[in-house]
Amino acid sequence: MDTRQKKRRDGTSGVVTKNNIVYLRERSIAMLKKDLILRNPLRILGSGDREPIKEGEFGGVLAKAGVGKTAFLVQLALSNLLRERNVLHVSLTQPVRKVCLWYEEVFHNISQEYELKNASELWDTILPHRFIMTFNVEDFSVAKLEERLNDLTEQGIFFPQLVIIDGLPIGDESREPLAELKILAREMRFPIWFAITVRPEDALEPAHIPASLEPLSDLFEALIGLKAVKGKINVMVMKGQGSEINNVFLDPATLLIKNRE
Amino acid sequence: MKRDPQKVRNIGISAHIDAGKTTLTERILYYTDRIHAIHDVKGKDGVGATMDFMELERERGITITSAATYCEWNDHEINIIDTPGHVDFTIEVERALRVLDGGVLVLCSVGGVQSQSITVDRQMARYKVPCIAFVNKCDRSGANPLKVVEQLKEKLHHNAVALQIPIGLENDFRGVVDIVKMKAIYFEGRQGEEIKIEKIPDELAEEAEKRREELVDAASMFSEELMEAALEGDIPEQLLIDAIRIGTLNRELTPVLMGSAYKNKGVQPLLDAVTRYLPHPCEVKNIALDLENDENEVILDPDINKPLVSLAFKLEEGRYGQLTYIRVYQGTLRKGDFIVNSRTGKKVKVGRVVRMHANQMEDIEEIPAGYIGALFGIDCASGDTFTSPGIRYSMTSMHVPDPVISLAIVPEDNKSQQNMSKALSRFSKEDPTFRVRTDHETGDTIISGMGELHLEVYIERMKREYDAMVHTGAPQVAYRETITEHADFNYTHKKQTGGAGQYGRVAGYMEPFEGEFEFVNKIVGGAIPTEFISSVEKGFRGALDKGQLLGFPVTGIRVVINDGQAHSVDSSDTAFQAAARGAFKEGFKKAKPAILEPIMKVAVETPSEFQGAVMGTLNQRRGMILGAQDEGDTCVIEAEVPLSEMFGYSTDLRSITQGKAQFTMEFSCYRQVPKTISEELIKKAQEKNRKAA
Repeated sequence: MDTRQKKRRDGTSGVVTKNNIVYLRERSIAMLKKDLILRNPLRILGSGDREPIKEGEFGGVLAKAGVGKTAFLVQLALSNLLRERNVLHVSLTQPVRKVCLWYEEVFHNISQEYELKNASELWDTILPHRFIMTFNVEDFSVAKLEERLNDLTEQGIFFPQLVIIDGLPIGDESREPLAELKILAREMRFPIWFAITVRPEDALEPAHIPASLEPLSDLFEALIGLKAVKGKINVMVMKGQGSEINNVFLDPATLLIKNRE
Repeated sequence: MKRDPQKVRNIGISAHIDAGKTTLTERILYYTDRIHAIHDVKGKDGVGATMDFMELERERGITITSAATYCEWNDHEINIIDTPGHVDFTIEVERALRVLDGGVLVLCSVGGVQSQSITVDRQMARYKVPCIAFVNKCDRSGANPLKVVEQLKEKLHHNAVALQIPIGLENDFRGVVDIVKMKAIYFEGRQGEEIKIEKIPDELAEEAEKRREELVDAASMFSEELMEAALEGDIPEQLLIDAIRIGTLNRELTPVLMGSAYKNKGVQPLLDAVTRYLPHPCEVKNIALDLENDENEVILDPDINKPLVSLAFKLEEGRYGQLTYIRVYQGTLRKGDFIVNSRTGKKVKVGRVVRMHANQMEDIEEIPAGYIGALFGIDCASGDTFTSPGIRYSMTSMHVPDPVISLAIVPEDNKSQQNMSKALSRFSKEDPTFRVRTDHETGDTIISGMGELHLEVYIERMKREYDAMVHTGAPQVAYRETITEHADFNYTHKKQTGGAGQYGRVAGYMEPFEGEFEFVNKIVGGAIPTEFISSVEKGFRGALDKGQLLGFPVTGIRVVINDGQAHSVDSSDTAFQAAARGAFKEGFKKAKPAILEPIMKVAVETPSEFQGAVMGTLNQRRGMILGAQDEGDTCVIEAEVPLSEMFGYSTDLRSITQGKAQFTMEFSCYRQVPKTISEELIKKAQEKNRKAA
């Protein structure tokens, strides 16, 4: 009987690091989740275990079109799903199937990156915590979203603990819907992350809010910018916590958030 | 029969249930003079549409069996396979697509791209079938064909371009503007047979220009000549048609036509488009496997003088014996010829050769390459390849899904028993997704298929066509069993008292495995003699047939043997098989076995006001809702629900949505049953076993 088997019979976790080898397959799903959470570069967005935004607060991921906002938000969602927090993903530009594909793709990349052997088992455990809702941009209204959310919560089907809204045009006329969303977020007690496409002329700099978003910046507690520089996508904090953010970047090949070596 | 393959089109008409495929086919046959009167699917005249020739189909208004037929249009010969729309009968759709060169995707102008359209589209992509789309039902309230063009782009990712725009909509739908010719087309006369071509109405001129520009832009990607002509501002019609054709054949462009088959509008231009844009048999690359040459791929040549290669894609038992639908890919199939079934190696003589027109037929002398016909008196299974003697090719095998649901059937009397056997043997030959077996313990006949409706239809057909009255048991889900942990085994099979002795010891371990089953031999030093290793494997494989929890097949397991023992006299093949079975039992119990159940992917399309209620029903049925897609007045809810919870769902859905919602369901995967349910299932199985004992 090898050491691994001995340890497991002793009632220990089954984790052995003999010769620095981590036997991920031997770990329980719970251990695997914990490990992934610990290794998640997104942890540094908050301070310690605290979330970067709290219930009723807004966070925004800013970038020009095609830089990786959806991939970033999906990773944010996955890091919550791993902690068994319910995530509602609202998309106004993509059908349910396409959003599912984003999750599958990012999860696949993560499982490759961390060489997860029992990825499909882990996937099955996180899936019940995700709910996707899609609307046509022109048909979307906060009232409609609230109605749909009530359908879910009143029947005990799904209680979101984090909401992601992708594809909502944010500009000069957005104050009113955003203010309504803020009320909804406070009443239903969840934070909302938005994908925000900035104008081509907007400069993205750390601790600097682009002019086009300035009038709405009071509504957002955290703003994170993604900027493509010399074949890499830099992640920068424009508002809120996360001093170590300069240490992470988005890998353009996999669109995964990684720590700088 | 004509001999110019360039003038042949083998097409399939596929779509969501109720999108109007059968009505459209009926109109096509009428305009091409194949039939002389039009009967509607649910018509008041009680005759029913020509393509839905089974009594049951007429009653239910759905098409169950593909009926092959042909017609002529503009000097072209069009062979049509009418395909069923319900997902339970997908094998029919898949078979049809396998033998077709082009497809017409029928969409409803109100419902748009529905979930079944997505399935059908996926199937077309699998067999690389170029297609054109026809947006039907433009006369219906809420019709919006141009929105459907957008949905084709967004949901199916087609590079869809409208070749027409509607003139009026809903009750006011009068005709279409042809964007290629830039003319208005009206359909007059009692059955829309008189076509009037006029100037584009002024109010549509601007829209038509805009759409034309989009069309030219899209088509010029496939023709530099067209691009140049567009820059010069003078586009010859044929140049545009040729460019659209190239795009369509490469599956990089989907021309969209529109109309209302029911109101006899838009069908003739669709036929024109079939002959213009869909490929002829010589333009499609068909591949066979050379069984004599390591299954190397061979590209077939649609030359009528070359050796014959043909595929039997559908069987039907008719009044005159077995009818075999066949597509010839190379050479010519002649009456009186000898042909060889590549699977069995049997040589048979071709008797009657016919061309099918729904349930009527016409005797012909031969079927040349590129054509579809039918043979009588040929004994074969669906999917068999027939060739000329001297070559042994096999057409690529067809994708056949495993059945997910079973039903026990018991005949009412002796007469029914005999008829039932005949019916079952025919159905299982015709349809590879329909399987029949006998439960050894109860002696019941078990039929398995792809869904509740699939089996229901066969039970009905047994009663109607074979006069076989049967009682049915409750539908039984095809569960599977697996293990969740690593477990060791070390089992000795010993029988050494009286008579010939038996001895064998098998040791090793089993562990979860991603595939079905893997057997690994790590025996060193001959602990088990080499000649008995295959006996051990056979023993393990045999044990997989029946798990110890519910008696369902075991899957997802790797067995590794690393030790054992043999006896010089008493060890034998039987002894080691028995030892392996014992070892399997021992290991299986220790390896935390679990039950897996089939999970169905369910898509419900419902008016938005019922969204909450529908989600509630799915949730009650242990469904995991993946998402809800809001599309204005309607929404689509996608969920994964265990099959065992889906029985009777259509009735529930109808009652909570006032009959306004519909759903499709297809097999997704196997997933572990929750503990409470699994305990209940085990308890039930134990009770059943006790009763049986």
